[in-house]
Amino acid sequence: MAIVLSTGRSSFAQTDSLIAAMNRVETAVPLSAVTVRDIAPERFLAGQKLQRIDSTILLQFKFGSLTDLLALNTPLAFKNYGPGQLATIAFRGTSANHTAVLWNGININQPNLGQTDFSTLPVAGFDRLAVQYGSSASAVGSDAVGGSILLGSNPGWKSGIQATIGQQLASFQNNQTQVGVRYASALGQSWKLSGKTFAYRNQFNNAYPYTERQHYFLEPSTTAQRGFIQDLYFLHKSGRQISINAWLTDNDLIITPQDTIARERTRTQSARLLATYEANRMTFRVGWIRDVLDYAKQNFDNPSHTETERLISRAEREFALLSGTNRQLNLRIGGEWSHYRTRTDGYGGQLIQEDRGDLYALLRFQTTRWLVSANIRQAFVTRFNPPITPSLGAEYQLVKRDRFKLTAKGSVSRSYRVPTLNERYWIDLGNPNLLPESGLNFEAGLAANTPLSDRVNLTTELTGYHNRVDNWTYWNPTTNYHVENLQLVVARGIEFNTNLTYVQNSWRAGLRLGYALTRSSQERAYDAYSQDVIGKQLVYVPIHTGTLNAYLQHGQTRLSVQMQANSRRYITFDNSQFFKGTTLTNILLEHSLTWKTVPIRVQGQVNNVFDALVVGVKRNALPGRNGAINLIINFPSL
Amino acid sequence: MKNQLTKSIAIGLVALSVWNCKTSDPEPTPYESGVFILNAGNFSNNNGTVSFLSRNSNTVATNIFQTANPSLVLSGGVQGYTEVNGKGLILVDNSTAGQDKVEIVETGTFVSRATLKTPNIENPRQVIAVGPNKAYISCWDVSGDYSAGTFYKDPGYIAVVDLNTNTVTKKIPAVKGVEKMVVSGTEAFVGSNTYSGDQTLLIVDLNTDTEKQRIAFGSTPEPIALDATGKLWLQAGKDLVQLDPASRVVAKRLTFAAAPGSVTISADKKSFYYTLSGKTYTISTDATTASGSIVISRSFSTLGIDPQTNRIYGTQNPLLYTQAGYVIRYESTGTLVDSVKAEIAPSGFYFR
Repeated sequence: MAIVLSTGRSSFAQTDSLIAAMNRVETAVPLSAVTVRDIAPERFLAGQKLQRIDSTILLQFKFGSLTDLLALNTPLAFKNYGPGQLATIAFRGTSANHTAVLWNGININQPNLGQTDFSTLPVAGFDRLAVQYGSSASAVGSDAVGGSILLGSNPGWKSGIQATIGQQLASFQNNQTQVGVRYASALGQSWKLSGKTFAYRNQFNNAYPYTERQHYFLEPSTTAQRGFIQDLYFLHKSGRQISINAWLTDNDLIITPQDTIARERTRTQSARLLATYEANRMTFRVGWIRDVLDYAKQNFDNPSHTETERLISRAEREFALLSGTNRQLNLRIGGEWSHYRTRTDGYGGQLIQEDRGDLYALLRFQTTRWLVSANIRQAFVTRFNPPITPSLGAEYQLVKRDRFKLTAKGSVSRSYRVPTLNERYWIDLGNPNLLPESGLNFEAGLAANTPLSDRVNLTTELTGYHNRVDNWTYWNPTTNYHVENLQLVVARGIEFNTNLTYVQNSWRAGLRLGYALTRSSQERAYDAYSQDVIGKQLVYVPIHTGTLNAYLQHGQTRLSVQMQANSRRYITFDNSQFFKGTTLTNILLEHSLTWKTVPIRVQGQVNNVFDALVVGVKRNALPGRNGAINLIINFPSL
Repeated sequence: MKNQLTKSIAIGLVALSVWNCKTSDPEPTPYESGVFILNAGNFSNNNGTVSFLSRNSNTVATNIFQTANPSLVLSGGVQGYTEVNGKGLILVDNSTAGQDKVEIVETGTFVSRATLKTPNIENPRQVIAVGPNKAYISCWDVSGDYSAGTFYKDPGYIAVVDLNTNTVTKKIPAVKGVEKMVVSGTEAFVGSNTYSGDQTLLIVDLNTDTEKQRIAFGSTPEPIALDATGKLWLQAGKDLVQLDPASRVVAKRLTFAAAPGSVTISADKKSFYYTLSGKTYTISTDATTASGSIVISRSFSTLGIDPQTNRIYGTQNPLLYTQAGYVIRYESTGTLVDSVKAEIAPSGFYFR
């Protein structure tokens, strides 16, 4: 009974991957006609689930955090320390270190921690978002064990200059401002320029009118975020393109700011620059990323400092081995070299440098019914020996009728994770002799597309996976917290999602449901107490998660309901303590109007409509019902 | 089908009536006699609990505060507990400043009666009874940056709690890192945490709740207990010191090879138990040299002595506070009784 209840409570869910998957097969354009700009994970991971978040959702979350967007639209779980505070991901039952976050194809996980604090990445910072499920080391490299989050920029080629201003006023004296310009024009006979300059500042004062909710304290904190984005694309009529992308972020979190003795400040600043040259089937990329992390308590003048820089270069060449209309065989080979420099107080403050390299070959074969990919990658790291990581995946269209299409998918892939700089270099605790974690991921799924009528479309996808990660690192207390390759984690699960859409005249409606079962546990005995831990669900990974997204649109007005539910989250390794399951509901009303030729979009949102109590990692309550009004003004082309 | 429905309704009704019968019984006092285990929890998870262990059982009742008060939450590490005239005071230390508290419960049932909060309570360390309806709670006050040497606010304070009104009536300025307190007559002898570096022994007048005297002790004093002769024992680094509370004169000083751990007085107050170099020892209060005898050939992070049974209680934790720790019980002779799984980081006992 209890099982039925908890399942029922949490069975809702997510996604658009279906449409994307269907489109991938449907709209296969002969490759000779286009310059291939897809980054590898979007193109060479046949048989694995890829969920592209559509632009409508990105627009709805224009003032939102990436954490909220993903929680409400995918089965990904987050370990959340509080509003505007550290939020780390658990992708398919793995830890925060097991998700690669790519920005325009480059892994931007903070290398000292080997993870991304999702609270520092507002949705305003990128134009495209996709979620790649499952291990994809062959196409992505390190960290892609549970899956990958793909963020990217998009050029806009509409001529002229379009300016945009956005402002959010929200509860708790929180506010956000965005200002940006997009521009495109011809540069002489052969070249076209497209660019985007965009800046945002978000101030979260979190001035709650209450100090407790249902006897759980709310933790006082403020977060100030700033970001700047500069994209430039130069496109030659031959298809050659030079692009420059820059994303600067600055995140300033202060906990208990009112208490000058106990206050704590975490400041994260990142600069990410990328230059890409694409010609015919060659791609060259040069990137530079600098991550600075400062932590201070009480006196903010002399923080503990972490500073890491990476110089990244990548060259790829794609070969069309077969390019008939019914059969295409493509091979992409590539190499990557990165140089890391870190100066971290915890490592002794001296400069530590290392080099990393990758060689890979990605093969993609497509017919009218088949899509197959076979990939292999070997990484090289200074003082370290990562394993060779192959992958093989296939999709086959079982049924191909007008009113029903059914595709079967399957893949098997190896993955690895290069231990973080902290894990290897931290004074006394780090272990330079660590082995890479190594994973083996199997997954299989079915995707169906059923146009029930001219107005109603139904897509459904069901995926099962099994991911076994060995040499999982552990800060072992029995050896004074040295990092060791002790654990073996097995994650397995089922993901189901369905999307129903209805279109008639000026009416549109949609319903997306997603459900995921995630069972992830540590399976190896390594000390006297591990008997209490073996087989137990990993902490902060709910077994059941669900999302429900529904909307009704008439003309330029859209009402959306977003729901996310999860079953209990264990907070201790032996599962003796847990946070109860929760259901969060948000409502969003949007309207677009034109005022003297200026398109204006107004959004009104109510978050946590039912005032549910959700508790963060520090056992503090997250805020109750709250609201925001967003105004986005798009000035027409000048 | 219909039959099945009738059947299940019938079963439901029976179950409901049984449940009703059960709840209509007079309020039980489930925690009348036994051992409270204070679980500190994992620091930043703020998940400390109090578990209850009956003397003749080897399983604990977990998180009894939550059981007795389903709508409330402790949200912090459990730092201390004592009872004063039918009321229990639970010290709760949260990792965030301003979120510490003291829950006042009815003894026996653990039903909440009141909560003391910031700014009266900040980093509570120990609670003792100092009168029929009065308790002292030593508080470090807000802590700063450890690496900058400003962790301990100078001075910390003692919160005076009136249990008639369940309020903090006064904050007595104490010493830096104020912690352990022992009552002798109408005075409380107050020391501090070793890491604070403070070397003052503070004496507080219980009648006026004011400072009476400060004694420079030479090293950080940590009061332990009064022995059978009424002498006060303190720990000062590697030393156990016996002091005459009336004359304030040091009567005896036992110097060990290293600082003894978890020094706990026996039920008859004629000996101490302590841990040293991986073993558990006992030493008489009459000893003249620091040479105890081994009782148990292993050590524990916390020791407790049950005054009713003289049994020795030791805690053993998996080093990561992310899974339950254990309480291991021995006869006073050192014979193993059993091992009981407690909750996260058991680190204190209260016997009643």
